[in-house]
Amino acid sequence: MALLSFERKYRVRGGTLIGGDLFDFWIGPFYLGFFGMTTIFFATLGTALILYGAALGPTWNIWRISIDPPDLSYGLGLAPLADGGLWQIITVCAIGAFCSWALREVEICRKLGIGYHVPFAFGVAIFAYVTLVVIRPFLLGAWGHGFPYGIFSHLDWVSNVGYQYLHFHYNPAHMLAVTFFFTTTLALSLHGGLILSAANPGNTEEFPPKKAEVKVPEYEDTFFRDTIGYSIGTLGIHRLGLVLALNAGFWSAVCIVLSGPFWNQGWPQWWSWWLDLPIWS
Amino acid sequence: MKLWVPFAVGGVVLFSAAMIFRTDWDLPPVDSEQIGYRGTGMYLTKDREKENELRIANEVPEAPWDPDPSGPKAGEIYENVQVLGDLSDDQFNQFMASITEWVSPEQGCAYCHNEENFALDDVYTKVVSRRMIQMNQAINEDWKAHVANVGVTCYTCHRGQPVPKNVWWFDNEPKPAGGDLGYRAGQNVVGEFVGRTSMPQNALALYLLGDQEIRVHSDTALPTGDNPATTKETEATWALMMHMSESLGANCTTCHNSRAFNEWDQSPPQRVTAWHGIRMSRALNNDYMVGLTPVFPENRLGPEGDVFKVGCSTCHNGVQKPLYGVSMLQDYMDALSEKTSTGVPDYTTYQPGVTETLAPAETPGDTSSLKTKDDEQTRLVLAE
Amino acid sequence: MEYQNIFTQIQVRGPLEAGIPLPRGNDERTGKPFFNWLAGWFGNAQIGPIYLGFLGTASLLCGTVWFVITGFNMLASVGWDPIQFIRQLFWVALEPPPAKYGLSPFVPLSEGGWYLIASLFLLASVLLWWVRVYTRARQLELGTHVAWAFAAAIWLFLVLGLFRPILMGSWAEAVPYGIFPHLDWTAALSIRYGNLYYNPFHCLSIVFLYGSVLLFAMHGATILAVTRYGGERELEQITDRGTASERAALFWRWTMGFNATMESVHRWAWWFAVLTPITGGIGILLTGTVVDNWYLWGIKHGIVAPTPIPEAWGTVVDPALGGSGQ
Repeated sequence: MALLSFERKYRVRGGTLIGGDLFDFWIGPFYLGFFGMTTIFFATLGTALILYGAALGPTWNIWRISIDPPDLSYGLGLAPLADGGLWQIITVCAIGAFCSWALREVEICRKLGIGYHVPFAFGVAIFAYVTLVVIRPFLLGAWGHGFPYGIFSHLDWVSNVGYQYLHFHYNPAHMLAVTFFFTTTLALSLHGGLILSAANPGNTEEFPPKKAEVKVPEYEDTFFRDTIGYSIGTLGIHRLGLVLALNAGFWSAVCIVLSGPFWNQGWPQWWSWWLDLPIWS
Repeated sequence: MKLWVPFAVGGVVLFSAAMIFRTDWDLPPVDSEQIGYRGTGMYLTKDREKENELRIANEVPEAPWDPDPSGPKAGEIYENVQVLGDLSDDQFNQFMASITEWVSPEQGCAYCHNEENFALDDVYTKVVSRRMIQMNQAINEDWKAHVANVGVTCYTCHRGQPVPKNVWWFDNEPKPAGGDLGYRAGQNVVGEFVGRTSMPQNALALYLLGDQEIRVHSDTALPTGDNPATTKETEATWALMMHMSESLGANCTTCHNSRAFNEWDQSPPQRVTAWHGIRMSRALNNDYMVGLTPVFPENRLGPEGDVFKVGCSTCHNGVQKPLYGVSMLQDYMDALSEKTSTGVPDYTTYQPGVTETLAPAETPGDTSSLKTKDDEQTRLVLAE
Repeated sequence: MEYQNIFTQIQVRGPLEAGIPLPRGNDERTGKPFFNWLAGWFGNAQIGPIYLGFLGTASLLCGTVWFVITGFNMLASVGWDPIQFIRQLFWVALEPPPAKYGLSPFVPLSEGGWYLIASLFLLASVLLWWVRVYTRARQLELGTHVAWAFAAAIWLFLVLGLFRPILMGSWAEAVPYGIFPHLDWTAALSIRYGNLYYNPFHCLSIVFLYGSVLLFAMHGATILAVTRYGGERELEQITDRGTASERAALFWRWTMGFNATMESVHRWAWWFAVLTPITGGIGILLTGTVVDNWYLWGIKHGIVAPTPIPEAWGTVVDPALGGSGQ
């Protein structure tokens, strides 16, 4: 079932990091592996606890459900389940599930004989998440500094934490991160559009016009050289996209870990180093 | 030539070094305080070293001695005692000793008094001091909603300096070129009084001198056409809030849940105190500071010739409760806890070194001096 | 761990590429192409040539006029002081006119008239560039997907600078041209209209923005991972599926039970990227025109959770209602 026409020849044993042949099999389209087992464990437990937390809470309205971190008074200790303990266990489950997932991706990469770029990229996303819920709370001395698990409640948290530093848009790392987010999206639209436009060409110049032939990569280069004077190329665009995307995640993590552990004023004041350089007078 | 390479590298290195070493970074551990319900993100984080520095800077000086409230009144013993005449001789002298320590510890009595005749008003600072004592009394009596029974003394603002460190004035620097180019709507430069943002640089004048509407939100989900505030007015409000937050070493969540800035029922109660504080600063500037403008020499006025004005930082000095809530007033209740004289002289007639006595006209009652003038000044600033 | 192809180890230098010949009626391409080692380390080493033509030249000229007007107004806004200009470069801006002029096209230069003139040139520059992107694609017999993606971005640009100001009845609603000033504007807009986080179109736009970044990370990483099988020649993989494409597909199928194809992943990419400014533009266009307070809108539609109030707060009441104080 669910096997693609060419899939059977790729479904070979080996490539596992742990567990040897024991978990080396597929369930439907999914590869399992040892880390698939741990992913299932953490994800199931975490989801069950979220449901339990929602049941304890006042609402089943999906927009309003929130699993909140403990009060700051618990510091770096454990809190009772209903007072943030659930959040703590769910966080452990989330990190467990994310890391398991990344390691499972590594196993799949090994099995397919391809590079490790995807698990590495996912690692950067995990790093950003861990920065939010572990590194920064740890540096600030209380798990309560983590963000709540809820659709709008986490937005309230983002808003309030931003306004803790008066005007978060002046945070230089935030500026960089947002720039990377926008640039990545710009680059993605250009790349997606370019491939689609070459694979789905327009009409020819003849009369009556007929559908032109599907283009080769040389057309990609020509189109971008014609419009902006440079084409980064088929290989380069994927490097660029990956680097831009990872920078968006990385600088997001930097911008929040600076806020609190390393900076406790309004972010506009950060620029005083520049405004007060001795070279101006 | 690849000569630019070493220059570029050098520039980047210097730039990075400045960014790292000339920036006021903190290091963990930091102290944090929870303001709202867990998970709302309403916290205040503070650097420990800076907190220690603030504690040292905000220690309260002891009263020089415990004065004897009995005996003849100062008004009977000394000439030209217009405001503190009801103090006993010992209380009066104790207060004068304290005020010297608070305001001019280096310059001594001569900072305000003609040493040959202490009764004369020919030193301008004495005229100012008298008005400031009236102001101090008015704060403690009329603005309990903001200062409660903790109250204020001269030291709350002065901290051993003749001019309080944190005051504000009309700031139009750097001035636009004028002419057809360079319109900037009073913003888009470094606003030194608004947290160094590029928001309206004279926002304090709008709210702490003028009474422009601070609230910009609509109370209905859909537009009704009743709310004229635009994004520009919002920036001005925010600029004021910048000043308030930095003055108190606080942040937006000290008074607001930022998910709904305007909603009172989810705001911390500090917002009510702050609301009164805004009105208090506005009243002090209009009723006390602006009227004194003609008395001050040029070097005690701002670059636009306006008097130095009161903001939140003037008293708070980076602390949420000035002097960490210690009430110095308790030692000076007779001098400062209530208004003893509300008369206002005509300051425009004052001539330093010449005027011997500057006393209010016989018709007392008007405590707000020269209200029109300040309105003109506000208009001038807003027209920029 | 073997080589992961994150940079080009050996740069092969063939002859410079002149580009696909253009049909009759086109101009000559401009500039003599050359190699740049640093560019070749990451992507193609060849820089240039460019096709400027009438549209490109006109667009660049208009863009330059916008840039110069903005720059000189910034310089004049700090009194022609070059030092303060550099020092406050992130603070200065070309500011739109005040609200009192409404939508008048005749605003004095000393009060924001330059903003309108500059904006006109910027608009011309952007639109000319769009036509150029469209034309260049057609001249190469390509589809016009890039031009329409660009049009989505132009939609957001027009909402911010033209459509919303018109609906609000004042040029003052437009965004100032400056680094910090446009950030002030953005955040103040959210505050004025009761928290843009409760604007569902803002939510969607952020989802597509983050989704785009996620997609590009996934796609970029996947292709790089299969470059050892020639996966970066995507057009060839689309028309003649090779092992690179198969492995890339199977990676995701085994990971998450679903895979795109070499072509369809680019449709996902295009739509995510394009929907970011489209939904964002809708969100901005509704703000102030149709909805005045997004938080209250959220209350109305049941998405706002009541937050527990700490007991120590007591009941906080607007002091302006009590008539005390002022």
